Amino acid sequence: MSPAAGSRRGARALSWAAAAALVALPLLSGKFATYLGVRVALLAIFGTGYNLLLGRTGLLSFGHGGFYAAGAYALGLCSLHLTAHPLPGLALALAAGAAAALVVGFFCIRASEVYFSMLTLAFGMLIFAVVWNAREITGGDDGLVGVMRAPIALGPLRLDIAGERAFYLLAVALLAGSLWLAHRLRRSPFGLTLAGIRENPVRAEFAGVPVRRYRLAAFVISGAYAGLAGGLEVLLESNARPTMAHWTHSAEPILVSLLGGLHSLLGPAVGSLAFVALREVVQRFTENWMLAFGVVLLVIILGFRGGIVGAVEAGLRARRAGRAAP
Amino acid sequence: MSAPLLEVRGLSNHFGSVCTARDLSLSFAEGELTSVIGPNGAGKSTFINLLTGHLPVQAGQVLFRGRDVTGLAVHQRVRLGMGRSFQIANVFPGLTVLENVLIPALALAGRAGRPLSRISGEREAREQAQGVLSRVGLGAEAERPASALSHGDRRLLEVAVALASRPALLFLDEPTAGMNPVERTRLLEGIRALSAGGQTTFVLVEHDMDVVFALSARVVVLHRGELLCDGPPERVRADARVREVYLGHEVEEAAP
Repeated sequence: MSPAAGSRRGARALSWAAAAALVALPLLSGKFATYLGVRVALLAIFGTGYNLLLGRTGLLSFGHGGFYAAGAYALGLCSLHLTAHPLPGLALALAAGAAAALVVGFFCIRASEVYFSMLTLAFGMLIFAVVWNAREITGGDDGLVGVMRAPIALGPLRLDIAGERAFYLLAVALLAGSLWLAHRLRRSPFGLTLAGIRENPVRAEFAGVPVRRYRLAAFVISGAYAGLAGGLEVLLESNARPTMAHWTHSAEPILVSLLGGLHSLLGPAVGSLAFVALREVVQRFTENWMLAFGVVLLVIILGFRGGIVGAVEAGLRARRAGRAAP
Repeated sequence: MSAPLLEVRGLSNHFGSVCTARDLSLSFAEGELTSVIGPNGAGKSTFINLLTGHLPVQAGQVLFRGRDVTGLAVHQRVRLGMGRSFQIANVFPGLTVLENVLIPALALAGRAGRPLSRISGEREAREQAQGVLSRVGLGAEAERPASALSHGDRRLLEVAVALASRPALLFLDEPTAGMNPVERTRLLEGIRALSAGGQTTFVLVEHDMDVVFALSARVVVLHRGELLCDGPPERVRADARVREVYLGHEVEEAAP
């Protein structure tokens, strides 16, 4: 019992240290690193929600770029036409991602396996086409431009998020909230039931679980995460672009989940960090950074199914076992 | 007399031109351990699949406790009290033994959808799940992953998963297939005890004649989707048509 408790205490100390480092990062580094930190946080929110669907429920969607875009355009339109206040904008972004996922999921969830994935791909392309062509509303291929990052005003309190550092802290706080929620979901009866559906949907049905409804719920939750991440990106870049809905963007949460580890809470977040860092480093040397990324992904899939987090955990376990043995 | 536990009226099913159920009508009484037998391809599994909602019914009616369940989804029938096991061990391999049983226990209690409470706090469902595991003799394996169990234990676990939904009627599809004699005896003793307990009525689908005649109060013989014979084991064993169809088939099968 005591080594487990010790390792739990160690893990807690480690996560506090990591949290402190995350908060301190913008104070110690330049603007560009802070900007990259925000990109990592956004991708991590996107991936954490997505992995509730892929790693937990066992559904592979190629359409989440569409929900990301729904959130992005919801925030952009809200900011340009209603209010520039970020909180209603982000709430709308989250709701738009969830609503889009509800509509798309309603149709896709009926299909199984490959057909499900292909349907989500088709719906994602549909959303891309709508965004691209509805020029009056979405600005077409120009996107929505000139979204400002207004301060968060709560009564007398005003949080200025125009600076990179303040916005970074907001993104990290939202990431922490996203991870906390995912953690709670994973250890709840709902999370266990989703895992059961991943392991064996037929048996789950015969265990009295309305499988379609649960799959749809997971789909909508991951859509809400995507919408939130999309809204945040518009605040970061001050524009919303149709390429957010493109299927190449839908692939990103899949890649970071695989890279970091499908079966761990922190997998997608760690994968996002590795993904952005790798891209930045490799792009200094060559245009085709995807080549390097492809090789890394191959190694992960062939050699380390648990992703980075899984490999680290296995390493720690082996070390502990080695220490306990002699 | 009240309505039988399960009543089937005029059930028919075709896969293309192959008829797997032809105008089947029969009923299962509460507490009567019944076996459904027949040579390979007799339509036994299809019969179970139709009754439990795994396959859509093309013609006919299924009534559970007098209520028409023909159009209900699988999970709704399970909630009403119809359970089943599968021919191939069908569990949640990546989860622990306890988690396997917790899923139906939580679903039964209507608590499976709770998104923010902790699993460890679901005391009632956990107790029920532990109870079911001890009843089938897997109490000590609770924390092991289901994929690490032996074949026989995995089949026991599947029965436990089915029992955790507290079914009034439980279909077991060839429960002893692939088991060694020791495991088989253990499982059959378990079924006998549970059946005598009276909470669950068992319907076995079996290929193995020894199992059937030792255990059942009633035997139903299917052949090419039709009801061939229905009655107590002695009568079925003595029935000329059954001997011809079933034993003849066995002899054919045994020939090189």
